[in-house]
Amino acid sequence: MDKICTYFGRFKELLEEFYVSPYRGAVARARRDEDDLFMLFVFGELMGVPNPATYYTLELQPLLLERFHDWHRRQGFEHSPLDGFRCC
Amino acid sequence: MSSHSIQANRQLDYPPIIWRLSLLDEILTSPLVFVGGKGGVGKTTTASALALIAADRGSRCLLVSTDPAHSLADLFGQPIGNTETAIAAGLWALEIDPDRQADTHLAAVKARMKRLVHPRSYSEIDRQLSFARHAPGTMEAAMLERVAEVMAMAPSTYDHIIFDTAPTGHTIRLLSLPEIMAAWTDGLLSHRKKSERLSSALRHLGGGKVRGDDLSLIDAATDHKDGSRDAEINELLQARRRKLVQAREQLLDRTITSFMLVLNPDRLSLLETMKACNTLTEFSIPLAGLVVNRVLPENADGSFIKNRRQQEAHYLEDIERVFGHLPKVRVSLQPGDVHDINALRRIGQIITRGETFT
Repeated sequence: MDKICTYFGRFKELLEEFYVSPYRGAVARARRDEDDLFMLFVFGELMGVPNPATYYTLELQPLLLERFHDWHRRQGFEHSPLDGFRCC
Repeated sequence: MSSHSIQANRQLDYPPIIWRLSLLDEILTSPLVFVGGKGGVGKTTTASALALIAADRGSRCLLVSTDPAHSLADLFGQPIGNTETAIAAGLWALEIDPDRQADTHLAAVKARMKRLVHPRSYSEIDRQLSFARHAPGTMEAAMLERVAEVMAMAPSTYDHIIFDTAPTGHTIRLLSLPEIMAAWTDGLLSHRKKSERLSSALRHLGGGKVRGDDLSLIDAATDHKDGSRDAEINELLQARRRKLVQAREQLLDRTITSFMLVLNPDRLSLLETMKACNTLTEFSIPLAGLVVNRVLPENADGSFIKNRRQQEAHYLEDIERVFGHLPKVRVSLQPGDVHDINALRRIGQIITRGETFT
């Protein structure tokens, strides 16, 4: 009986995974795109995209520094586009 | 021409003394007073005289210069600078230094960054931030930040705060910034909200299991306990927004802010005042009234002065026609320089009495 329960439990998990995982990927991508856009607002000035509020977004930069490396890689820059941040 | 004289007649229906009292009254009941106008028309003198009137009537008053070329210290004959300095009974003065403000702000950002990166990057961070320091807009933003902080001191710390502003263009830009910048922070916050919604959806879908397809940012973001980093970002943005929105609300509230323009009876000054008036309307900042400064006194004589006076009469008429609906005070041209407290008190008396030269 226990064995059957475990079997069904495992089956349920697989089924869930089967239906949910495509959405998970899509939502994760959407979120990543949203965060990438936010990164562009904060670091855009340094990449030549004018920012009307550099003075205010500057204080956000330290908080986003850890995400900077992944972000610039995704934006198609193999190495940090900024002279200032040599993260790689 | 006929509409011109009709306008003029309509103005004469009102007893002039009432407008003048109402301008001064409005200013003396406003916690925040901005004195603007073209360069050299007498903004500093007018703002200082008004501040002295308020202080002499027993109010605690702060006189603030936002013009990078400060002249309060020269006028009062004592050093003032970037901190509130007592200059008379009940009167303090402050000359805002946007350079110092920007330096402090950038030093704080720099210190935070240096905690997060390897020491070998320190010199690069210094270099990067020194670019930001000299980027266009940095001074403006620093000035706005300080002005917003000063504005928040009324009416708790000071009964009146009177701003002697930079020439009109700069000031109007400064006053329009809270709206623009608040919209900008709103935009950033809306992106944050969207990202948060997606995160919570992701949690319901078992977010930790995302693999491949370079979604490393998700992992980076979920590494922080309860998204503390995200919370910090939102908090900074919210604090910024609160400051800007408060400044904006104060500026738009007629019971809190009076904006007045100083002008001289000449062509350029009149034209600039008209433009300033339009821009103020555009940003819904109410104009309390005008100080028409340096009007030739009646007792000035000579044929040269007579010619000047004729020309002046023409401009005074124009001012009446264009700004008929606004309260005005006329201040006559003084025989000598206004360069000390006593001379300022004399100007103050002229404003109080609503002296005219007619």
